[in-house]
Formats: sequence, structure tokens, C-alpha cells
Amino acid sequence: MVRLIGLVGTNSDQSTNRQLLKFMKKHFVSQAEIEIVEIKDLPIFNKPEEIKVPESVQTIADKIEAAEGVIISTPEYDHAVPASLINTLNWLSYGIYPFVDKPVMITGASYGTLGSSRAQMHLRQILDAPELKARIMPSSEFLLSHSLQAFDEDNQLKDSEQIQQLEGLFKDFLIFIDIMKHLNHAHESNKKVAENFSWEEA
Amino acid sequence: MKLVGIVGSNADISYNRKLLTYIQKHFGQLFDLEILEIKDIPLFNQSDDQTYSAPIQKLNNKILQADGVIIATPEHNHTIPAALKSVLEWLSFNIHPLENKPVMIVGASYYDQGSSRAQLHLRQILDAPGVNAIVMPGNEFLLGKVKEAFDENDDLKDQRTIDFLESILKKFIKFIDVVTVLQGPKPVAEPEDLFATGKIDTTIDGLDMSAEDWVEQAAEIIDAAEGQDYVKLNRGILTVDQLNHFLASMPMELTFVDSNNQFLYYNFTSSAEEMLAPRTPDQVGNPLANCHPERVYKSVEWVIQQLRSGATDVVRVHVPTHGPDKYVVHNYTAIHDEEGNYVGINEYVCDLKPTIDWYLKQTGQALIGDADAVSSASVKDHTDDVDAVSGASESS
Repeated sequence: MVRLIGLVGTNSDQSTNRQLLKFMKKHFVSQAEIEIVEIKDLPIFNKPEEIKVPESVQTIADKIEAAEGVIISTPEYDHAVPASLINTLNWLSYGIYPFVDKPVMITGASYGTLGSSRAQMHLRQILDAPELKARIMPSSEFLLSHSLQAFDEDNQLKDSEQIQQLEGLFKDFLIFIDIMKHLNHAHESNKKVAENFSWEEA
Repeated sequence: MKLVGIVGSNADISYNRKLLTYIQKHFGQLFDLEILEIKDIPLFNQSDDQTYSAPIQKLNNKILQADGVIIATPEHNHTIPAALKSVLEWLSFNIHPLENKPVMIVGASYYDQGSSRAQLHLRQILDAPGVNAIVMPGNEFLLGKVKEAFDENDDLKDQRTIDFLESILKKFIKFIDVVTVLQGPKPVAEPEDLFATGKIDTTIDGLDMSAEDWVEQAAEIIDAAEGQDYVKLNRGILTVDQLNHFLASMPMELTFVDSNNQFLYYNFTSSAEEMLAPRTPDQVGNPLANCHPERVYKSVEWVIQQLRSGATDVVRVHVPTHGPDKYVVHNYTAIHDEEGNYVGINEYVCDLKPTIDWYLKQTGQALIGDADAVSSASVKDHTDDVDAVSGASESS
């Protein structure tokens, strides 16, 4: 069984992105084991002089390291990724590199019509940064708009078209993970590039 | 022109802070720049609203009162730092100080591109409906290779960079003017209650403000600390006597007026005749209206409006009526609490002449031109105002 991480892209108590990941966990239970990971309790990143991450960050890093892929579900705050998710990714690229070559699928839910489209574009750029260098599934976008109305009381997505789209994307993601396994010849050197990367010298 | 500069990083070492400090120092002729740190702002969490905490309110007030904002952003992982994003989320959640505020973006980074991606993201963020800032288009200032960009005095080394920075800062000033026009006439300032008929948390109730022994009466009502009572201050502890002696030793006349326009304190050291701006002990407690003749109420009101609204933090007036041997300046300075709320006015009056003479003597320099020419420039413009606000002695 494929082991995946579902990263909740917000520290908010109420989150339809968390709901979406929970839905996926249950809906795809026969195809994958999705562990939902929260980013709530991480301290604010301030580029400490000593390059050492707190234990709460290391725990998440270990989980990502061990998983075959990561699904990040992001809300959109002010046309962009929430500070709490940026914060998490700042920590997860500070002397540790769990995202290098890791297959990532991006989903997003938002209360409005646009369903976090801009945040998702930003997130792609962020995950492509030298110290993250994730393998983001191309040409795939799952935007859940009007997310407050999207689930029924059993946390089921109401719209069958959306379920169908998500099922297709998820199937693709599993294949994408497989393909990525074959595209791993440069993994060691990619990791080294990330480790050796220093903005101070670039 | 009053600008604030936001350091987009919470790191101890930040070249963006250095860049703003340079702008503040080097372009002081163009505008006043106050540098704001974001280190104390917690990570945004919509389930734990801290909008009304002191650090966020301070930022809010400073931005509201500024004519424009310069944001200096580093780039982390192809975007702006979480700390800066967090600040912008707080400032677009329940409060919106950046709405319609002219903003200029600059950025410094270690590598060649100097935060280009972060700046583009920042533009999009500032354009979001909750933020709604008016960002100056074009005119990107990307300072790459920052480690080599500053000399040992923290000045930018490259003259072309300095010239370019100056040109876009000047454009930003014009941009602010244009935006101001776009927004139409400024709202008229609220009238000031010079008779202090209102009440603030600290107002001592139940007695006649104009009583000659207002201080004694008020002290009794609130059981005020006095003599050898200790007072805890930031940062230290003094007795009331020590505090009095300390304030009496200040080389200037100090006056405190609260935000309710009540005259609460002056550092009483000499008689009214000997003072630069005469005050008498019986005046303390009076509303400002009682301390000024009616013909100058408008001027008094204008000064308070400037300070209360944050249009300026200090109004300085030279009072030429003391003869050529003195250069007496009344400094009306806004007092703010930790959150940036207006608390009142510190009017300090001092004669600058001895300081200038001392400086000239120490450095072996002399003033060029005759003193009359220098000191008379402001006489015509301000005499009316001056009498206006300094006329405490003209009260009943």
C-alpha cells in the first residue's frame, strides 16, 4: 500500500482543506494510506544562527522522508499561500531536505469562487526552490471552490463531478509516484545540491 | 512627508534592515522614514485572533498615520518570508491599515536576482482585496549580492545604485501625491474640545478644573503618590521626590497636556517671569481653552489636530520675542503609548543658543551670515501662531 502524507496547509482550527484531506483519506483508503499531518504547533521561523530545527519540525520531516508522496492542501490568504504554510516550508528546508525529489500533489479549497488558484501557483514556485526541489505533479489542479458548502454532514463531497475529477487526479498521482521512482538517478546529487546550496554564495 | 519602512525579515541579521536604515539616513532630506520591525508579531492564526495586541496595534497605528510605506523584503524559497506574510495577514484580517496606502517595494538578497520572485509575490499579495494597497508600478529596486553592496559605514558603495535608488524614491514621493489626488480631498480633522469637556480613563472627576488648588484637590481624591513614595517606571524605580528633582534638572521647560486637552503638569522650577514660556502653579488642571486667549484657539486646535491625527509627530515653533541672545523653540511633541495611541502632548521649550554656541566653540566653527538674517526668516510667518500656543500666561 502506498503511504502518503496529507499536509494541512493552515494552522486554523476550522479548515475545509483539512476536511478535504480527511475526505481523501477515507475515499482512497483502498489505494493508499494517507496520514494527515498538522502544521499548527510550529514556532515562527526566524532563520536562527544555529542551523537546527525544532523537534516538532523534525517529526514532520521524518514522516515526509518516509512517505512515498505528499498531498498539500492549501487555502489562499491574500492571493497567496498562508504564512503558516510558508513557515512550515521555511523550516522544512533549513538544513534538512525532506522534499527533495518527493512527489507532491497540490489541492486547495477556498470559500470563494476561485478555489485558491493563485495560492496553488505560488506553492508550485515555492516547492521548486533550490532547497525544497519537490517533484510537483504537472498539469494537475484541484480547486475546491465554495468549500463551506461542498461537504455533507458525513464529510462527503457532494458534487459527483468533483469526486470524479479528484479520483482521476489521485490515480494519476499514484502513477506519477511510480514514474518518479524511475527518475531517481540524480537523487543523491540533487540532495547534495540542496545541502550545498547557500543563498549567501549563490 | 512621513513614511514608514517595514523590515520584511524577523532575522537578527538582515540586509533589508540595513537597506532601510541607509535610505533613512541618506534620504532624510526627502522624507522622514520610521523603521518598523516585525520581530514581535506572532504567526497569523485565524483561530487565535491577536489583532488587538500591542505589537500589531502599533504597526497598525504607524501605518495609518504614514503618508506611504516602503516594504523591504528578502526572498526565502522563491517567496516572501513567512514572518512578513504573517504580518500582512494580520493587517488584512480585522484591520486594514494598508487600504489605499501608497506602497513601494524594495528587496535585498544574497544572490544576483535580489528577491525578484518575492517582490512579484508581494505585489500580488498587496493587491488582494483584504490588503488593497496601492503599489507603485514598475521601478523595481533589487539589490543583489548584498554582502558586497555596503561599505564599513553601512553606506551603499555603488554610485549608480545610489542614483537609481534616489530616482525611484523621488518617483515614489510623486506617486504618493498622485494617489492623494486620486483619493480626493482629505477628510476634515475632527474639531478639538479645547474645554476638555470629555473624559478619558485618567481624568480625575469631581472637581473644578480651573480651581487654583486643583493639584492638591485632585491628589487627595486619588490618593496620589508623593514625597518618598516609590514609583515603578520603565525602566527603573524612583521616589516621587527623585522624579521631581530629575525633571526639574532637565535643561528645558516641560509641559504635559493629556489627550483630553487638559493641562496636567509642568516642571515648576521658577516663577512665570523667569520662564521662557510663562506658566503659574495655579494653571495646572485647566483645560487648554483657559490657558489661551480666544483669538488663538484656531491655532491651538490646529497643532493638536496635527499631533492627534499623526500628520506629524512634532510641531516646532521658533519664538523670536526673546531678543537676539536667545533662540527659543517650542516643541509640541505627540506622546504615544506602546500601541501607538495618542496620549497627549509633551511641549518642551528650550533655548538652543547655548547649545549652538558650545558646538561652535568645540569645533572651532563659526556661523556664516548675520544672525538677524537667519533668525528673522520665520518671524513673520509664525508670530501669530506662536503667541497662540505659548500664551499660557495670558489666561485669566
